[in-house]
Amino acid sequence: MWLRSSITFFSLLFAHSSAAYSLNVQVLTNKNSNLANAVVYLTSDKPLPKNSANTLTHMDQVNSQFVPHILVVQKDTDVDFPNSDSIKHHVYSFSPAKSFELQLYKDQKPEAVTFDNVGKVEMGCNVHDWMLGYIYVVDTPYFGKTDEDGRITLDVPEGQYKLNIRSPRIRDDEATLIQDVSITSNQEITFKLKKKLLPSLELYEESDEFSTYD
Amino acid sequence: MQSLRNHILQIMLLLLGTIIVVTILTVSSSSYKHSTGQVLGYARTSAKVVEDSILNRVGTLSTALQALTQDFSAKKLILAGKDDQASLQSVLINYQRRAEADITWVLDGEGRFVTSTSLGVHDQFFIDAQKYQEPGIRFIKLGDEHYLIKSAPVKRTERSRSISAWGIMGIKASKIINSQLVELTDRQLTLFFPSGSDIEILGTSFDKDLSDFFSKSQINLTDKLHTLTMNEQEYVYVTQPLGLHYDDQLHLALVTESEKAYVSYNEQLIQLIGIVLVAAIMALATAWLFSRRITSPLTSLVEVANKISGGDYVDKEKPKAYITEVSSLSDAVWEMQDSIQKREQEVHKLAYFDELTGLPNRLQFLEKLKQMTCDRAECEVAVIIVNLDRFKDINDTLGHTTGDKLLVAVAERLKSFSNENSFYARLGGDEYAFIVSGEKLDSEDLVERLAMLFREQFKIEALELDVYASIGLAIYPKDSDDISNLMQCADIALHNCKGDHKPYAIYQETMNKHSVQRLNLTSELRGSLASGQLELHYQPKLSLQNNKVETVECLIRWTHPVHGFIPPDDFIPLAEQTGAIRDVTHFALTEALKQQRIWRSKGWDIGMAVNISAIDLIDMKLPGFVEKLMSEYDTEPTQLTLEVTESAVMTDPDSALQALNKLHGMGIVISIDDFGTGYSSMAQLKKMPVAELKIDKAFVLELASNTEDQVMVKTLVSLAENLSLKTVAEGVEDAETLSFLTDIGCTKAQGFYMSRPIPADKFDHWHQEFIDKGQTGQSA
Repeated sequence: MWLRSSITFFSLLFAHSSAAYSLNVQVLTNKNSNLANAVVYLTSDKPLPKNSANTLTHMDQVNSQFVPHILVVQKDTDVDFPNSDSIKHHVYSFSPAKSFELQLYKDQKPEAVTFDNVGKVEMGCNVHDWMLGYIYVVDTPYFGKTDEDGRITLDVPEGQYKLNIRSPRIRDDEATLIQDVSITSNQEITFKLKKKLLPSLELYEESDEFSTYD
Repeated sequence: MQSLRNHILQIMLLLLGTIIVVTILTVSSSSYKHSTGQVLGYARTSAKVVEDSILNRVGTLSTALQALTQDFSAKKLILAGKDDQASLQSVLINYQRRAEADITWVLDGEGRFVTSTSLGVHDQFFIDAQKYQEPGIRFIKLGDEHYLIKSAPVKRTERSRSISAWGIMGIKASKIINSQLVELTDRQLTLFFPSGSDIEILGTSFDKDLSDFFSKSQINLTDKLHTLTMNEQEYVYVTQPLGLHYDDQLHLALVTESEKAYVSYNEQLIQLIGIVLVAAIMALATAWLFSRRITSPLTSLVEVANKISGGDYVDKEKPKAYITEVSSLSDAVWEMQDSIQKREQEVHKLAYFDELTGLPNRLQFLEKLKQMTCDRAECEVAVIIVNLDRFKDINDTLGHTTGDKLLVAVAERLKSFSNENSFYARLGGDEYAFIVSGEKLDSEDLVERLAMLFREQFKIEALELDVYASIGLAIYPKDSDDISNLMQCADIALHNCKGDHKPYAIYQETMNKHSVQRLNLTSELRGSLASGQLELHYQPKLSLQNNKVETVECLIRWTHPVHGFIPPDDFIPLAEQTGAIRDVTHFALTEALKQQRIWRSKGWDIGMAVNISAIDLIDMKLPGFVEKLMSEYDTEPTQLTLEVTESAVMTDPDSALQALNKLHGMGIVISIDDFGTGYSSMAQLKKMPVAELKIDKAFVLELASNTEDQVMVKTLVSLAENLSLKTVAEGVEDAETLSFLTDIGCTKAQGFYMSRPIPADKFDHWHQEFIDKGQTGQSA
């Protein structure tokens, strides 16, 4: 799904500026293994292109799990919760970036939630304690998540940026997760974390007595 | 020395004492330990109960907090923070009530205070909430109050990796240590921690006073039972670590009164002492009884033994003994008594009785005599000594067995004489004695009656023996008031009668003189030979066929310079006993042959008859001596006759026969003296070279009137004649006898009728006269 939206961004970028370079970022853990699903985005002191209105992204509920587990959206993006499950979910967030509460019933589509504040939104389900999902709200069109190899490629126009790395598993101080980058050509950046990661959700699940993962 | 019973009791006491002390010490120590252990164990259990109770409280707090932090709307209010404090407070109070807690407050994720249920009361809420989330008992202090505290994290979502706030709840410590726990544990409980030199108390069941005492006390925190005195009351206590006050270790003290703690121990100890004392008393009683069982028969035995040693015998029953050893001892003592008694009787018998006849012996006789003379001072006591005549001959000829039997028979016969006033004994050998007591004793009658007993013959193994006895009598106190003197008097009388050939004699003072001499004779006899006190007297033997004096018997006479005439019967036996008889015989032979030579020179051819004793016959030197003497005095052997008694020959027939044969071979005439009184066998007589028999005067003295004697003498003479033996009759005292003897063909006669034994000069005179008479035809 993100592929679809990225393609959308891509075309937009291309349309905007012809001088675009690709920034290849690889995120490594402190033990030099690849970190997948890490949120990577670039911010800039200069104004970056705003999100076009009514951009809609989905945070689905499949088998009583948030899918995707981590969703990155540009500020002012609407996110709807389609609920592919046949059961009721009561999705909520007490995060300062976005506090909300949605009663999700089957065949009853609630309205999308607009994420208009930058920050991490942590979501749970009041019915199913084990459900955990994250929506990272960023104020930039240049963002993405690392693949299985911990890599991501961002096509960005020339200019001065700040590279931000985020993940619920990262324990490093937030200040160290920001790195200045100057895009003048295609560029490769390897970002190595300093502290040990929190356990992955899978491992986390294993220690969870309420796990329903098969 | 101690008695056995005391000894047993003492040992028993010592043993019991030791056992009691050791038992009580051991049991009391182990029971104290056990008791202490129990108190300790009980305290630990109680501490556990208290801990559980507190943990329960913690659990309650935990549950309440969990409910609070997971409640969606409460969480919403908490995460909203100070936005709606009033609503949040009311929610907190609600949960606080449910948990019966006293205080609740909220800190945000960074530990900043959000709100509490006691705003304005406490303000020191800032704690490291993380610590209080963990399981365990933790207290903090707010103001003056201590609280048991529990915290719980608040997360935005259940699965969130970060903590967004803390809910914290507390209960007053004073509420936790409550009367319910005291009731449950039966102990006074104090939760405290040492703070400097004092004790800071979080909660206690003590009242104010004791609580103050306790907080000032030195509390020993080691895991043992300790004592503590508060308000003059002794307590025991145990402490157990329980929870934390911030990061300081808290302790729970479990306190109780000592008596209460040890109540079962004390009861047990008293019970034990009671049991042990009862057992001790019983054991002592048993020991006492047991020792009595041993000692009481022992005491009786000691009494018996003492009595036995004192010469008393005990007839009473043996003491009952329940113990084998004591019983054996008792038996042994009794047996000992029996055997001592028996032996004493034997010893007594041996000492006081004659073995052969069973009669009392000399010793008893003398004692009895002493007793009787003492007892009956007014009475006369006669001592009569009976001596068998010629018992030695009987013994020699018939053997000792027969002799002994005779002695027994005599004893038997004498019994008939004894009565309640008399006592008789065998003094030894052939001597018996009587003691007769009475107011007026007829001495003559007594001895007469005694002499009568010997009239009858004694029958010993088909032999009929004529036994004569000499009897001497002395009277106490007439003759002597001294016992040994009295005995001597009786003895003197006895010897007196023996010398006089009377059956009995009653002591007279005149006898004494005579008998005393006897004692010195032995020593004086040898001297007498040298000093010429001995001389020969001659008694003619009248030859009846030709009425001539052809032989004389040489009879020895001792004229003592002091005592005068001493009859041969008195000194010859003594001479025989001492061996002096040989010298006497030699003297007699020498004198006789010397005299014969004198008479021969006068023209008188007279044969000399000399008596020789048994000792001379055994002495083989006699024939040689005689031979030498005969040649010295130029004597015709046929003119010498040696007179030997039957008994002399019988003493040692072989030696005697040898000597006699030798003398006979020399041509000397051998004559048997006193024939008819002894027990010579005819066979023996036949063997002997005898030429002459001398018929004893016992048969001759009354020959004239006694027809029995006449028959006897006649038989003897004819017997001798048949054996070609000559006969000499002794004791011829009258003409009738002489005539009778002449008639029956007796060879010679000797006696007072012809002449007494007279000295040589008188014989010369008498013989001259006799020759003269015969020539005038007046003889026969």
